[in-house]
Parts: sequence; structure tokens; C-alpha cells
Amino acid sequence: MTSESLVVAATLIAFGIIMAGVAFGSGIGDGIVASKAVEAIARQPEARPNIFTFLFLGVGILEAFPIISIGIAFYLLLVVAKVPTLLSHIPAGH
Amino acid sequence: MHEQIGEHLVWNLPVLGTVHSDTIVTTWLVMIIALLFFAWIGASYRSPRVTKRQAVLEAVINYIADMVTGVLGEEGERFVPFFIALFIFIFLLNQFGVLPFKALGLPFGGSPTADLNTTVSYALMVFVMIQVVAIRKKGLKYFAHLTKPFAWLLPINTLEELVRPVTLAARLFFNIFVGELLFIIIASIVTAKVMVGPFNLSLAAAVAPFFIQFFNFFVGTIQAFLFTLLAIVYLSLAIAEEH
Repeated sequence: MTSESLVVAATLIAFGIIMAGVAFGSGIGDGIVASKAVEAIARQPEARPNIFTFLFLGVGILEAFPIISIGIAFYLLLVVAKVPTLLSHIPAGH
Repeated sequence: MHEQIGEHLVWNLPVLGTVHSDTIVTTWLVMIIALLFFAWIGASYRSPRVTKRQAVLEAVINYIADMVTGVLGEEGERFVPFFIALFIFIFLLNQFGVLPFKALGLPFGGSPTADLNTTVSYALMVFVMIQVVAIRKKGLKYFAHLTKPFAWLLPINTLEELVRPVTLAARLFFNIFVGELLFIIIASIVTAKVMVGPFNLSLAAAVAPFFIQFFNFFVGTIQAFLFTLLAIVYLSLAIAEEH
């Protein structure tokens, strides 16, 4: 196993772990915010525009770091390990 | 594919060095379009009849003005034009990436906020504006707020102050850039005509960019709104009066 293939294998695994972590974390975080928003609207329906604003505000702020993680994960995949160019070297017909 | 992502056409200017020409040209184009569009709306104010475009524009401006005065109070009135301009311009810059100028080979196109230079300069502009306004209002005693409530919190408070423009810039940049990146990846799957056995993956994936662009439009609006709102909140924290 050459060191280059080791780097590519590690990058693929790292990409998968980062994506799983991002999806899990932001899913739980957004779920908590959205559930509280739905509860608040159910208690007081006339406050709906206000709560809608705060819902998107909360989601936007807390999605900042997950999106940064996605950006770094794609950077690892595309620039460090150059996975698509490797895939194009696999002969067609598989 | 790496050549398409994150690569910008460059100009080599004598004093400024290497600049991203497609970002600059696209920003100029959006500026011209925005000026013409708002001049067109403003021209309808000559006649005394209220038109639909006036109503839409005034709804947007009232929304932001209410947000500003709601957070900042009475003295927020003089900042309202700045935040209106910030919101509308960042919104237009974010949405401009939907139009496929770059794929057609033109030297502009793509969202300027997908370039870190744009977002960092806007975040720095907001940061400097907040510091200058706070110093003009409170004098140099403004920096005493870094030692509230305890003096040994000085490094933590300073770090928090300095990290704010960094997160503003990074949030806006990464949201828009990852949206464009996802679009490019799905588009490259579509053009590569991938067949998984008898199943034509490219054809099935051709529907995805449509929904991705909807999502990008949504994210662009939210991020523009969020940038403006966070700038307002940071300003209100800086010029807050002691109780």
C-alpha cells in the first residue's frame, strides 16, 4: 500500500465521518430550535411572523459552523486527495 | 474539476497586484443593475398614484427599518439607510450566482460572495464602522467594556470581539460557496453520463440542480438577512448605555 493510496483512503473515511457529524449535529440543533418555535406558535398564533424571524435567525447562526465543516470536508476531498481525477482513471465498463 | 472550483480569473494590476477579475466585474455589474432598478422604481414616485413596485419596496424598507429601530431604539434612525443598503446589496450579490454566465464562458458570473475577499471586506467594514461609532459616542472609555464584569475576563472579551467579524465573513462565504460547490458536483455527475448497470444515474440526477437552486435562493436570502441582523445586534451591543 503506497503512502499516496493511504492518504486517499484516509481522506475518504474522514469525509464520511465529517459529513455524518455535520448532519447529526445540525439535525439535532435545528430540530430543537424548530420544535421550540412550533410550540411557541401553538401557544400564541398571532406572534407567528416574529417567531418565524427568530426561527430563521437561530437556524442561520447555528448552521454557520456545520457549513464551515462541509466546506473543509469538500476541500479535503477535492483538493488534497483529488478524488474525481482518480475516479476518472478507473477504466470505463465497470 | 478542481480547476473550476475556487479558481478565479485574475488581472495583474500595477499597484494592487493580482486581483480576482470576475468577482470585481460581477460586483460592478450588480451595482449598475441595482442602481438602474432602484432608479426605475424611484421614477414612479413622480406620479401621485401608488404603484405596485413602490408598495413592495416600501414593505422591504419598512421591515428593515422596524428591525433597526426595534433593536437600537430611537438613535438607530440614522443607521437605517446603511443597513438597508447592506441587506439589499448582499441579497443581490448572493442571488446573482444562479445565472449561468460563467458556464457560458463569459468573464463574469458566479456569486461575488463566493469569494472570501468580498465577505471579509464587508465584515471588516461593519467591524470598523461599529468601533468608530462607539468611540465617537463614548470616547476612549468605550474600551473599558472589555473589562466588564471582571478585569481578568479581558483576553476572553477581546477574543470574542475579534472573532465576531471572522464568523460573519466565514458564515456568509461558506454558505454561498458550498451551495455553488454542490451545484457544480451534481452538474458534473450529470455531464459525465454515469451508468450504474442499466440505471441511468445522470438522467435521474438531472432533476437535482433544479431543487439545489431553489435551496440556494433560500440560503442566499437568509444569509443576507442574518448578516444585516447580526451587524445591527453588534452595533447595539457596542453603543448600549450602562444601566
